Amino acid sequence: MRSALVLAICLAASLSPPASAVGPGSQLPGITAPRLADPAHRVDFAALHGDVVYVDFWASWCVPCRQSMPQLDQLYRRYQARGFRVVGVNKDVATADALRFLTRVDVSFPLVADGDDSVAKAFDVQAMPSGYLVDRNGVVRYVHRGFSADTAVELRTEIESLLGSGA
Amino acid sequence: MRRVAAALATAVVACACSPVAPYQRGYLARPDMAMEPVDAGTAKALERTYSAKEAARGGASIGGGGCGCN
Repeated sequence: MRSALVLAICLAASLSPPASAVGPGSQLPGITAPRLADPAHRVDFAALHGDVVYVDFWASWCVPCRQSMPQLDQLYRRYQARGFRVVGVNKDVATADALRFLTRVDVSFPLVADGDDSVAKAFDVQAMPSGYLVDRNGVVRYVHRGFSADTAVELRTEIESLLGSGA
Repeated sequence: MRRVAAALATAVVACACSPVAPYQRGYLARPDMAMEPVDAGTAKALERTYSAKEAARGGASIGGGGCGCN
């Protein structure tokens, strides 16, 4: 009986999700991450408060990311002047893979590396790509898992709503 | 006693099981993690060399009825 209890506890511990999952209503985690092309400099997520921010988790091996990255870049260029920021968190094992991807799909928004998984763990990323749209108060308002043409349309509406409402 | 030991061993093994997080799948996407860790041409050449050295062809994949006619 006792051994069955040990087994049950171990299974529960290994399968249960972390308690720190970021979702709508959560505060943007106050973490920092090194820039992808310049690891000496770090991006401070706390410093993004005051802007509407989209934190996007991407990788060169993630097929939908080939579609999402150019679309996000378009949105970034379109709304940047109104206070919209995008931070791309790269999840490649080797930075060289990410840089090779960027030679084909170039983007203008800041990119950070996450070699120790600390950023992905802080958000408890459930799918690739995943995106978290954060309002000007640092509160996560929308979470997008996966990416399609519909996602881009929804995202545009959500960004306009958050930029316009002043929230 | 033996049952307790078996249950504990199962518990230890179960604790060691950990799902691969979606953001860690880059490790699974590495070329050396493929079922055939070389390109198709090299795989065919290796199979041909193996066949020549072992004086036997076929049997490298599931299928075939074992008719010996290949």
